[in-house]
Amino acid sequence: MIEVEDLCFYYNSKNALKNVTLSVKENCLTALIGPSGCGKTTLLRCFNRMHDLYPNNRYEGRIVFEGRDILDKSIDVITLRSSVGMVFQKPTPFPMSVFDNVAYGLRLKKINNHNVLKEKVERALTRAALWEEVKDRLKESALGLSGGQQQRLVIARTLAVEPKVILFDESTSALDPISTQKIEQLMVELKNDVTIVAVTHNLQQAARVSDYTALMYLGSLIEYDETANIFSKPKHKLTEEYVTGRFG
Amino acid sequence: MTKNVRKRRIKNLLALSLCSLCALFGLTILGWILFDVAVEGWKALSPKLFLKDPAPPGVMGGGGLKSAFLGQGLMTLTAAVMGIPIGILGGTFLAEYGRNLKVSAIVANLSDLAASTPSIVIGAFVHALLVAPFGGFSGWAGSVALAIIIIPLVLRTTDETLRLVPWNLREAALSLGASYHQVIWSIIYRSSLSGLLTGVVLALARAAGETAPLLFTSFNNNSFNWSLSSPTASLTVSIYQYAASPYESWIKLAWAAALVVTVLNLGLNLTARLFLKSRKY
Repeated sequence: MIEVEDLCFYYNSKNALKNVTLSVKENCLTALIGPSGCGKTTLLRCFNRMHDLYPNNRYEGRIVFEGRDILDKSIDVITLRSSVGMVFQKPTPFPMSVFDNVAYGLRLKKINNHNVLKEKVERALTRAALWEEVKDRLKESALGLSGGQQQRLVIARTLAVEPKVILFDESTSALDPISTQKIEQLMVELKNDVTIVAVTHNLQQAARVSDYTALMYLGSLIEYDETANIFSKPKHKLTEEYVTGRFG
Repeated sequence: MTKNVRKRRIKNLLALSLCSLCALFGLTILGWILFDVAVEGWKALSPKLFLKDPAPPGVMGGGGLKSAFLGQGLMTLTAAVMGIPIGILGGTFLAEYGRNLKVSAIVANLSDLAASTPSIVIGAFVHALLVAPFGGFSGWAGSVALAIIIIPLVLRTTDETLRLVPWNLREAALSLGASYHQVIWSIIYRSSLSGLLTGVVLALARAAGETAPLLFTSFNNNSFNWSLSSPTASLTVSIYQYAASPYESWIKLAWAAALVVTVLNLGLNLTARLFLKSRKY
């Protein structure tokens, strides 16, 4: 689905990713784990070229998605981002109604027909397991929802534009345990239709929800395998130490 | 030990009393001014102030200040139309597109400097630019002078307000496939609307209360016309001229106009506070 080939990334002259090569499998949940500053978020943000927002960043290598190198200059990042969605650490509801939040990405795609919008918004909210809670308050400000609801709203907003990949950047670390559980459940259900790459600090979470796990350390990919193998019979000594909590 | 505590208490009391006295002094002066303006202005306030054009002293009790009200309104509005978009767009550049550029810091500092330039200097500058070369005072020159006061104020409040919008909102919108200008229009401005309005209203209040920039530019006029090409009356300049005149009736008009300007300004400031209170971020 996504082939990362010999990827290096630089913030100014700081080498944040060193020759990372991995293959993200379609309709699977891939977890990126590793200690703070290991480059897992940097790698995640390469997948939707979020780094382009800042000056003096540089990519080397290739990331092949749908047959094209998305790091190529000719790639239109706006099109790329509508097929690779992203959910952030803290909920990011826009200062508008619940409905308008979910419809935001659709309207960017010039979908303005109210009936079409209504149908797509309802479907996205249903898929994000939020419809029942907000169906009577679609016109209220999204800022009035609870943190966990806001995060599911953001997921619905991302789902509405029907991306093929969703990137989760520690998306449950700011939430309470019950909301976390709901989001985890949601991630597991969603991978039937979308490919998920999730950065997490929570090893139990990686073990619970992911199919594949990649351990990163100091900008390098240390080990990448099926999650069961990473946690039960890691090949690399660093992996074993990290998953057993001896460092990190 | 106890001696030390007592000494400290006395020092504390002294400092407290000194601060309170100074605050009281400041408030007394302000209260005195407001009280005087209210009492004297109220006595002189009458419908003809708004309905009649100025008249020579003695004739019809000195007339009213219709031309000054309309002129002030027209010039402030023109200045707002010129100054607010420039201020908002400039502030947007500083906070968004030019966030990491050195030139933005320089512009921000220069803008602070411009905001604290004595307004008489702005008046003299516009006089040299638009009055002297074109052979006469005009409402346009007055509007430009007021716009020059508005621009740095709006620019800086816009800059500061936009910077308060959490950065990840921009990334969230971009990750949905928005372009940066769409993010600014649909997310950033919306999040910071109350702050932007506050900045605009405060800048307008400041501009509407200025005399010095108008003295050299729009001057005054005893009758009103919709063209800004001729000298144009304003409340502040009228107050300045009438209050300095020897005529009883003109002085009374100046009091009344002062009351109106004060109330309008207070109203604008209160509006700004209301906007600020409704702020979400």
